[in-house]
Amino acid sequence: MIVASILLLLLTGGAAWAAPSALPPPEGFHALDTPNDAGRSLSLVWKASPSDSKDRTVQIWIGEGKGEGEFKIVADFPANTRYMKPGEFPFWAQPAGPGDHYLKLPSSKAFPIEDGKPYAVKLLVREGDQEVWSAVAQATSRADLFNTAQVNNLMFVLAFTGVLLASISAARRNPHVRLRRIAGLDAVDEAIGRSTEMGRPILYLTGAGDMSEVPTIAATTILGEVAKKVARYDTTLKVPHRDPIVMAVCQEIVKEAYIEAGRPDAYKEDSNFFITSDQFSYTAAVDGIMLREKPAANFFMGSYFAESLLLTETGASTGAIQIAGTDSDHQLPFFVTTCDYTLIGEELYAASAYLSREPVLVGTLRGQDFGKAFIMSALVLGTALATVGVIFQTEVFNYVLDFFRDFK
Amino acid sequence: MKAFARRMIGIDRRIIFLLIAAATLLPLLQPFGLPIKVSPEVKAVYDHIEKLPERSVFLISFDFDPSSKPELEPQAVALLRHAFRKNLRVIGMTHWLTGTGLADGVFSTAAAEYGKVRGKDFVFLGWSPGGGALIIAMGQDLYTAFPSDYSKTPTRDMPVLEGVRNLRDVNYMISLAAGSSGIEMWYVFGKDKYRFEMAGGATGVIAPGLYPFLRSGQINGLIGGLQGAAEYETLIGQKGTAVAGMDAQSATHMVIIVLVILCNVFYFTLRGEKGRPA
Amino acid sequence: MIFLKRQLPLAITFIMGIAFALQYYIPHPVSEEAITSVSKWMQIISGFALLLGVASLFHVHAVKIKRQVPGWGYSFVLYLGIFITILVGFWGKGEVKVDGAQTAFGWLYDYMMVPLQGTMFSILAFFIASAAYRAFRARSREASVLLIAAVVVMMGRVPLGQFLLPWTWDVTQWLLNVMNSAVRRAILIGVSMGSIALSLKIILGIERSYLGGGKEQ
Repeated sequence: MIVASILLLLLTGGAAWAAPSALPPPEGFHALDTPNDAGRSLSLVWKASPSDSKDRTVQIWIGEGKGEGEFKIVADFPANTRYMKPGEFPFWAQPAGPGDHYLKLPSSKAFPIEDGKPYAVKLLVREGDQEVWSAVAQATSRADLFNTAQVNNLMFVLAFTGVLLASISAARRNPHVRLRRIAGLDAVDEAIGRSTEMGRPILYLTGAGDMSEVPTIAATTILGEVAKKVARYDTTLKVPHRDPIVMAVCQEIVKEAYIEAGRPDAYKEDSNFFITSDQFSYTAAVDGIMLREKPAANFFMGSYFAESLLLTETGASTGAIQIAGTDSDHQLPFFVTTCDYTLIGEELYAASAYLSREPVLVGTLRGQDFGKAFIMSALVLGTALATVGVIFQTEVFNYVLDFFRDFK
Repeated sequence: MKAFARRMIGIDRRIIFLLIAAATLLPLLQPFGLPIKVSPEVKAVYDHIEKLPERSVFLISFDFDPSSKPELEPQAVALLRHAFRKNLRVIGMTHWLTGTGLADGVFSTAAAEYGKVRGKDFVFLGWSPGGGALIIAMGQDLYTAFPSDYSKTPTRDMPVLEGVRNLRDVNYMISLAAGSSGIEMWYVFGKDKYRFEMAGGATGVIAPGLYPFLRSGQINGLIGGLQGAAEYETLIGQKGTAVAGMDAQSATHMVIIVLVILCNVFYFTLRGEKGRPA
Repeated sequence: MIFLKRQLPLAITFIMGIAFALQYYIPHPVSEEAITSVSKWMQIISGFALLLGVASLFHVHAVKIKRQVPGWGYSFVLYLGIFITILVGFWGKGEVKVDGAQTAFGWLYDYMMVPLQGTMFSILAFFIASAAYRAFRARSREASVLLIAAVVVMMGRVPLGQFLLPWTWDVTQWLLNVMNSAVRRAILIGVSMGSIALSLKIILGIERSYLGGGKEQ
């Protein structure tokens, strides 16, 4: 009896050890409308399992309505794939928990998904000759009206707009905001004085851009200030143009400058003239003007491309004093080597604000400075937090870092 | 010595021009053929194209005109040769009106080498106005943006464009840019919105300005100037005008370096004198 | 007239600016259709802007010929060039090649446009040499750093330099990927802030110089 019991125990126990454990169904499986998209897509979420491996596969089956009809297979992949990637979604718009499985199911030729129609989805997990179905999950796809993942981006835009408007408003009340003196600006008077003494003209170029570009607007503003000084000294000013609209704007600016200087009689209509909009044709024409008329001072303000060196080197060969200002960083080396003074990047915008003291320009400069200060602070803070996070193997700082990330 | 230094500091620039001309011409007549080292940013473009399956869609935007032909045409030729060898479907277009003839010529030459057929293996869409607006239009519907290609053949139902509805269906894209209307524009209006992978090819002058985009992963590779084109030709094992031009470029760089060193020697020789030399 | 020249353009700029700034945050298909539609309009307008450029050119040179200003003969040459190119272009139906044979239009492009543009660009090589000879002097500490960096990069970017001094390749790569990237990023951030600020000012009607007037009212 005892022997029989022991034998029975061994047999059932052995049977228990020999039989494989049943495959567990996926935990926490649910379907939802894909967030922040244009519709026609569903998302599936289920919990990760420690036994997920490449030997285990997951199949996605989808059907219309509540699942009464036929289901179709639309995907098949190993169970240890398709996790929600860290940094894929911001913490405030995550469709799944960290480490969960996440799969986006867009509409396809195999199974079109329409907005507003309910769909039923289920998973089939297989390993060896075992398989298990998940519960059926239902979801309806919809197009979203707002991308919540980009709310941080919108907040920064609104904040910057507010700061800019406040700075402009403050500058209107008090335009005498302290602006750092730009070295090249001292040379403007020197250049104009030199031209007057030598009886040679001043050549002023406004660059390759049109009136919708920041450097062109800055260049036209500086032209106004240069024209005022030129009017007082009765020097000849020549402004060849590449863009007819810029030319029209500059004509009015120079005319007003002469009027403000009290010398409307000295204004010449053809001081601003249009050459051509073609890059190298314009360059050849201006080089010809420089070699024939030998201006004593050349101003290169605005945005430039490959023509910059052709212009400045030709100007240098005539012995003119040259002052350049551009935000075209790829041309800066050429300006720096061939010009006497160069205003780099934002120094051009600052120069136009400094010379004209227009509240809008001064206020904008202030607003931009606040923006840059914020970016610098964010860089330092973000780098420090990310570094500490890596050292201490924690993701808690991602709650802050996500604010500065660009999510789609 | 000082008199000599003074004379050399103010040397007629035409002598410098002559030296540069000699440094450019002589190696073209008598090449010395040094090995070309490949940079990681060029290799990244090559590796990505190598990994593309056959019949993947590869878009090239020829955003340059004849003035940048010496630097960017060799890049275009090398990329097309690689793409045709990998049997990719190549779509070409341009944002620069004056570059259309050039781009079409490059396509025709490279396609003829590999027996590729227009409409079946490649298509050159030509030019359309708009810049960023054109990219957005292509991102919504390629056939509305380009109802016909450069040779006026309707694009809808073209075998090479099968399955391609818009930019989201492009597997890889490269912009060969000489200035504005180039890589930055393609990133802002194209990749950022339509999520295709992209790389850049640029002239030597603007290439350094694109390194921030490369480092942040906005472009996955960068081919810079004639050197970059020579590196790509080396990778595909088919030397062309870029490798041939590197000898001239090497010699020219050396001449400039020697001139700069000499200039500094003369400058320091004269520096001891009262007042600065001119 | 003031309404058409000032108020109406400002209103259009404001409405369209706000609408398409917000469009970036709206994934709905209606938003996508709107941007597609507007992109088509922008393409059409860009096409007309080309015509505007040509019309301006014609007008300016017509005035020069009429007034017989010095150099007015070149304006005739310009007209001749434009008309010949247009005639040849129409004759060849805008094609540079037909059945493998080059058209007259293609000839003009290959043998006039390409060499002329290439020549202008190639002058840069000579000019940079003379500029470098004149300007790359170790006048100060900063100028010395610039000089050394320039020489190292010039060596490191060509096969002969890499052959003579192999370490220049690695230093060049470091300079380009680290120092250069950092500086360019800084300039890019500054310039981008300027562009964003200008765009906001244009949308909100604070900046009006693009309308062709003088100071803002």
